[in-house]
Amino acid sequence: MRQIKTVTVLGANGAMGAGSAGVIASFGEAKVYMLARDLDKANEGITKAVKSVRTDTIKNRMVAGTYTNDLAKAVAESDWVFELVAESYDVKEAINKDIAKNRKPGTIISTVSSGLSIERLSQSFDADGQKHYFGTHFFNPPYKMILCELVSHKGSDATIKKELGHYLEKTLGRAVVYTNDTPAFAGNRIGFQLMNEIAQYAEKYADKGGIALMDAIMGGFTGRAMGPLSTVDFVGLDVHKAIVDNLYEFTKDAAHETFKMPSYIQKLIDSGNLGAKSGQGFVKRSKTSDGKREKYVYNIKTGSYDPYPKFDIPFVTQASKKIGESDYSGAMQVIKSASGLEADLCRYFLARYISYSLSIVGEVVENKENADKAMGFGFNWVPASAFVDFLGGVGETIQLIEKAKIPVPAELSKADKSKPFYQLKDVLDARALFRA
Amino acid sequence: MSNEVFILGGEQTDFQRNWSKEGKSFMAMLREVVEDSLTKVGMDYSEIKRLNDANRVAVYVGNFDAEQYTTQGHLGAFLTEVNPAFNGVPGARYEAACASGSVALDSASTHLRAGDYDVAIVVGIEVMKTVSSAVGGDFLGTAAYYEKEAKGIEFPFPKLFGRLADVLLERYKLKEEVFMDALAEISRINYANAKRNPKSQTRSWFMNKEHASARGGENNMSVGGRLCITDCSQVTDGAAVVVLASPSYASEYAKKKGISQSDLPKIKGWGHRVAPITFSAKVAESEGNKYVVPWTKQTVDDAYKRAGLTVNDINVFETHDCFTSSEYAAISAFGISEPGKEHEAIQSGVIDFKGKKPINPSGGLIGVGHPVGASGVRMILDLYKQVTNTAGDYQVEGAKNGLMLNIGGSATTNMVFIVGK
Repeated sequence: MRQIKTVTVLGANGAMGAGSAGVIASFGEAKVYMLARDLDKANEGITKAVKSVRTDTIKNRMVAGTYTNDLAKAVAESDWVFELVAESYDVKEAINKDIAKNRKPGTIISTVSSGLSIERLSQSFDADGQKHYFGTHFFNPPYKMILCELVSHKGSDATIKKELGHYLEKTLGRAVVYTNDTPAFAGNRIGFQLMNEIAQYAEKYADKGGIALMDAIMGGFTGRAMGPLSTVDFVGLDVHKAIVDNLYEFTKDAAHETFKMPSYIQKLIDSGNLGAKSGQGFVKRSKTSDGKREKYVYNIKTGSYDPYPKFDIPFVTQASKKIGESDYSGAMQVIKSASGLEADLCRYFLARYISYSLSIVGEVVENKENADKAMGFGFNWVPASAFVDFLGGVGETIQLIEKAKIPVPAELSKADKSKPFYQLKDVLDARALFRA
Repeated sequence: MSNEVFILGGEQTDFQRNWSKEGKSFMAMLREVVEDSLTKVGMDYSEIKRLNDANRVAVYVGNFDAEQYTTQGHLGAFLTEVNPAFNGVPGARYEAACASGSVALDSASTHLRAGDYDVAIVVGIEVMKTVSSAVGGDFLGTAAYYEKEAKGIEFPFPKLFGRLADVLLERYKLKEEVFMDALAEISRINYANAKRNPKSQTRSWFMNKEHASARGGENNMSVGGRLCITDCSQVTDGAAVVVLASPSYASEYAKKKGISQSDLPKIKGWGHRVAPITFSAKVAESEGNKYVVPWTKQTVDDAYKRAGLTVNDINVFETHDCFTSSEYAAISAFGISEPGKEHEAIQSGVIDFKGKKPINPSGGLIGVGHPVGASGVRMILDLYKQVTNTAGDYQVEGAKNGLMLNIGGSATTNMVFIVGK
């Protein structure tokens, strides 16, 4: 087992940097160099880290420092250098140079990135450095979201990957998903495929309810805590754009056209409406003078914000009621048998989600369990394989996908129909992810 | 001549789940836990129906306070909503505060010992996250003498068990730092054990000895005198089920499963004692006694006597660590240490997972969670797992006999069961 006693976190003031450092200093009981552009920022990171894990005990293991004054010493002393600076080759490659200069052989280096090529980033290092270079994609907030995608590239060493995976899992308590160095890796590839395609449909059905309608059709009864478009609003439209543009440019799969970002999102970005973080995006929240909360939704056609509507969609009500009674297959039965545009769309999106999740096996992940873990632990979405069982098994699911005119993935067509399809029942109880 | 009572198995819900957040009621929880348990045990609804036609099956539901938490009484009648196979099956709800699950077990095993029924389905259930922790704390106050000990007091129970810590410290003339370090170690062990339990509430939470010892400040606030957040069990939504059986049914069941009847664990002993309801009366009564909670000690002794066993025969314990101070007091009650020397057993590693007398390999109430009315049933389920070598990552090697202590109130209702093959 690899000993990781000292860690350098670069970009320690950001939410991801501070949150990850908190996990490393607490669970890992490691000394953590918290590096940022200036000392105030680094100290801010320490405060955030303490707040995220809620223990003062990590304070005395955290050392604030700056890239200019402290990077050399910190990196030279570290067993692991974790870089979480801004998502761009220029910024990351510049700091990689400094890391490479000061790194002692044997030190692991890793990066958080939603889409950059890990292999390209590894090129900043010598042969030993490349062997020790990985993507460690933590999710936000790291203490609560325990997924970590461990991304390896052509030059990374298999033994070191295993050791790092073991450390992330056993010491830091992460749910580790091993992925290849493909655009957006596993979780974001699957998640943003669905969210962007739903955003496209919101435009198509703008006069029927648009954004709010799509979230109503794909609400908690379809196995998530938050509607897909509310999720986009929450992570930020700019982040959404970066991820889907990258996927559109660098992937060529059957869902290619679904990664094309709809123009109304660009319009919102251009006017600075990035979502929850900038006050408004798809959704706008405000308070009246007497403190009453109000919620508005972006009207794709008119460009204005309308009061957030409530829809009366009978199959949604019925399915939600079944979920509230823990009758999961009953809820799926409602979805399967309902008629009307909303139900057609719901079935189409579920078919797409299952099909696409399973289609990345081989290219991105070694087996479907890694895709399932990514969605369950990283997005709090019911994993595709679990859906297959709730829907009544492989045969029923294939029918659903065929009816939606979406490719049936090999994972399904070659599956043993007599066995439960979902293999992670003891690790991740998918029932808990359905909301009534 | 009374019959032996066998345990066929059962299941618990994932104690990490927040059912209110999921939009699911106590009924959803009941449905999931009963269905999961019957699947695990290998019983289907046609079997329940067959048994019921001959009036050979009954249900026992342990629950503390569904009236307040979820505005629902009469939980004993709700298995009929799980499946119509339960229509006509005798059932009732049993209540003794945090020992509700155990009094349900007690009633079930009494009927089986008497030969009234062949199969008893024992459910423990509590939905607690329907209200804020302050409101829930007030509900829990009804497990004390509400008028005298809880009314108008914020979080009355932490304060009562904080007083237990005070009395232990004074009566045994312990050095405060030694005592507080021992309590922190109890907390550390429970959280560390819970990490191995895939159904524990705190399995992804951070805890180590350093944090458990860092009492005070906003990240580990005092909740009752010397006791801080790290000394407390959790507010938990959860349920657990065990299926108990008569010798004749156990024999039939074993045959069907292709195992020997002697492979099935049984309830070897039990104890049930009620101490004075108020904490002050308990302390006054035990003045001059070696044990601060003598009725707890007596309950353990009763169980040992009925089982014909001593502490030397017990390989694993599940205790009621609603607070670190209650586990502390239990150690001498079990006979693991002399009264006043509990800290030595703690510090020398005796009660640790790999120790000679491991306590709470599941994580206990602190680590696995404490859905009040479910805890007693969860404990016996964990003992079942331990003595059948099916506890997975938290299996205590070679566990033959296990003992559980479940208490209600401030160690008022005491219930002990000993399980072994």
